[in-house]
Amino acid sequence: MHPGIYESVIDWIPAGSRVLDLGTGDGAFLERLVQAKQAVAEGVEKDPEQVARCIQRGLVVHQGNIAEGLDQYGDQTFDYALLLGTFQELISPEEIVREAFRVAPRVIIACSNFAHYSVRLQMLFRGRAPVTKSLPQPWYRTTNLHFLSILDFREFCRQMGVCEIRQACFSSRGKVALLPNLFAAEVVALLESGRRQV
Amino acid sequence: MGIGQDDKLMTDASASIAQGDLQDQKVRGYHSPLGVTRTQSATLRGVRLQSGFTFDEIEVAYQTLGTLSAKRDNAILVCHALSGTAHVAGLHPRTGRPGWWDFHVGPGKAIDTDKFFVICSNVLGGCDGTTGPMSPRPGGGKPYGMDFPEITVGDMVSVQAKLMEHLGIPRLFAAIGGSMGGMQALAWAVQFPERVRVCVPIATCSSHNAMQIAFNEIGRHAIITDPNWNDGNYTPDHGPKHGLAVARMVGHVTYLSEYAMTRKFGRTLQPPVSADAAGAGPFSVGSYLHHQGESFVSRFDPNSYICLTKALDQFDLFGGRPPEEVLRNVIARFLVVSFASDWLYPPAQSRELVRQLKRARVAATYINLETLYGHDSFLIENPEFAQVVRHYLEHEHRQAGLKEAGAGP
Repeated sequence: MHPGIYESVIDWIPAGSRVLDLGTGDGAFLERLVQAKQAVAEGVEKDPEQVARCIQRGLVVHQGNIAEGLDQYGDQTFDYALLLGTFQELISPEEIVREAFRVAPRVIIACSNFAHYSVRLQMLFRGRAPVTKSLPQPWYRTTNLHFLSILDFREFCRQMGVCEIRQACFSSRGKVALLPNLFAAEVVALLESGRRQV
Repeated sequence: MGIGQDDKLMTDASASIAQGDLQDQKVRGYHSPLGVTRTQSATLRGVRLQSGFTFDEIEVAYQTLGTLSAKRDNAILVCHALSGTAHVAGLHPRTGRPGWWDFHVGPGKAIDTDKFFVICSNVLGGCDGTTGPMSPRPGGGKPYGMDFPEITVGDMVSVQAKLMEHLGIPRLFAAIGGSMGGMQALAWAVQFPERVRVCVPIATCSSHNAMQIAFNEIGRHAIITDPNWNDGNYTPDHGPKHGLAVARMVGHVTYLSEYAMTRKFGRTLQPPVSADAAGAGPFSVGSYLHHQGESFVSRFDPNSYICLTKALDQFDLFGGRPPEEVLRNVIARFLVVSFASDWLYPPAQSRELVRQLKRARVAATYINLETLYGHDSFLIENPEFAQVVRHYLEHEHRQAGLKEAGAGP
């Protein structure tokens, strides 16, 4: 994942926020966020080895599969829920985003753009499933289940009734401002529930 | 039991990982960095139970390891499980056997005695030095037996709290325990919220389910149908030993996993050597269980077994009250540990506990380790488990700004 995505998230979250990181991995980013923003943070991770690394970092972490819901958390327990880098791997993104909005009024999602021009060119000229810098694995080894573009992601947000407050797009060269659906490999967006929480 | 039996157990390289409590094993060449450790005794006065019964005085057997810091803020209470004792780590002065949690308590171990002052006391109702059904009634009369008052996990914890006052420890850094010990750790956080900073319940639950009660009922029934039961008024030499052995055999199976048993025994043959096991089958697993049963009988009191398993079955942290209300005053931060292969205290119970903690906004970390050895996974040598506990305590210790122990008063 492009480091700019993590910078954006740190930039967007106000100091002292309560943050739930879904699919927190080894907790390296969450630890950074806690240090940079004194966030009151918690991670959810399904792999016990990764959970053990989070514990080593001193993070509050819950071993669980986010696909099974977030029943352990009460409504609006957090200020922000994060879904960074796992979005296109989720079986039911709708349900998980709905759960994320149940526990937090703002959700930050990062995902890959499968309409990047290199993907399009590989499909068009080679006639093969693409392998790119941001999609390094061949089709039979990838953990990605969904192949969406930035336009698809926007449409998904509209359908879910959530609005995009901020967005940042990145390619391997850095931030992309021009025609992101063509030139960006990854996108991160700060979403807020359409039914505004006061 | 014969010599051959022990030899068989000792020569099996997997003995230390496939079996339960260290105290029921002979591990050849076992080394404990703590060396020989001794158990002490304290007399506590005026102990009132939740039932209203009051003991004028009781004895409590306990062990301490490490050094209490000058600020008295590095104390960890280790709560033992059903068959545990105050002898938590180090070698027993008489038997030479390691304490039941020697794998995880000691210098540089999961519970680091270089950093923490570790206390472990035999529970109220137990039979290893603390007042229990085997103790004489006041005035030096005959043992309480079945007349020993009904006790609860909450009562065990109240006695421990009194012991802490006796030792001059105003507040625990942590309460830690597995199984029944986990229930005590939970009860500590709720009963004495301002006196616990960290709570580590392991392989436990907030209340027993029907299956857990059922296994305990089988154990109790085996004891009270033994011809030597005599309504609980037996002499130590002529007690319901067979019943207790059967209870332990059943209990022991529930602490293991299919994987552990298959790996250790498979279908290998070794008939029991004991004359008491006449009519037993020819399999190694059977002779192992007979051995476990007999070994347990030599150190455990049947009335105590009944008394403690009843307390376990009655334990209900929430008791039908809303968790938010029960946990309202809880200050402790929690590390909840379960084991994927534990079918006696299945991970779902720990997850439910964690859900209730989190919904009540108590900081709780949860890990479900993939150790393959069933409920006993917390008692065996288990590096993943040890690391998790050590790292968690280390971090909380740093956070609490504790000074290294050693500058004691």
